[in-house]
Amino acid sequence: MIYSMRFYVLLTIWILLIALTGCSKTKGDSPDKAGKTHIVEIKKMKFIPSEITVAPGDSVQWINRDIVAHNVTEEFSTDWKSPDLKIGESFTLQVNNTESYLCTLHPVMTGRIILKGD
Amino acid sequence: MKVLNRLPSLIAILFFVLTLNTNAQNGEQFNDAEIAAIAVAANDIDIKYAEIAKDKSSNKEILNFANTMVNDHTAVINQAVELVTKLGVEPQPNALSKKLNEDAQKTREMLQGKSGKAFDKAYIENEVAYHKAVINAVRNVLIPDTENKELKDLLEVVLPALETHLEHAESVQKKIVG
Repeated sequence: MIYSMRFYVLLTIWILLIALTGCSKTKGDSPDKAGKTHIVEIKKMKFIPSEITVAPGDSVQWINRDIVAHNVTEEFSTDWKSPDLKIGESFTLQVNNTESYLCTLHPVMTGRIILKGD
Repeated sequence: MKVLNRLPSLIAILFFVLTLNTNAQNGEQFNDAEIAAIAVAANDIDIKYAEIAKDKSSNKEILNFANTMVNDHTAVINQAVELVTKLGVEPQPNALSKKLNEDAQKTREMLQGKSGKAFDKAYIENEVAYHKAVINAVRNVLIPDTENKELKDLLEVVLPALETHLEHAESVQKKIVG
């Protein structure tokens, strides 16, 4: 079957429109992609800073710069938890709520993320 | 009676502190090779206590603490061995490291003789006392005596870990002993 040049032009425009609409929707549904990433270092058995304020859609990345393994775990319900982070490893969480967290390996190590407007 | 039960480990810990303080007062210093041997022995001793706890206890708090002790002290030993290998220093067993190991053997025998809640209590009490003694020794004797900067840096980074272990042990002790 032979199609006219007009058919191929219309098909191309249609495909481009779908692709562009799709990209636009993805971006709109994921404001976190534009959010900032805040760094919390784990050093000398402390979360530094131990308290951090972030905007909705921001992320927090914990980097283990200590001499032993640590993890990051939601304090009260353990709703979220990182794997045990070896030296140099990191874990990133998109923040949707104000959170209190600790290291279950060393429960005296605690930290807090405050969500602006929460 | 309670004090009598804890006597072997308390005597061992007291000896550890007294020996180190006596050395300091006499102006006798440990060299870096001896300090490396003492550091490795002190970490190894706590790993062995924790292994007994993992074997004998069913208390969740004790098991979590013991697992952390095994992992953390193993990590410290590995870093100490890596450093002394790099520096070309052979850990040099000395009177103190040998005495520490001999006394730890008595404490292990004491712990092996207990079970249930009595074991949990004895283990965590020993951990509190042991970490207090080691922190005192590292801060007041080993760090000041160490000449090599990298070894001194490692001991200084280990200190907050020991302090966190002590806080953790005291927290577990409160839950167990009440």
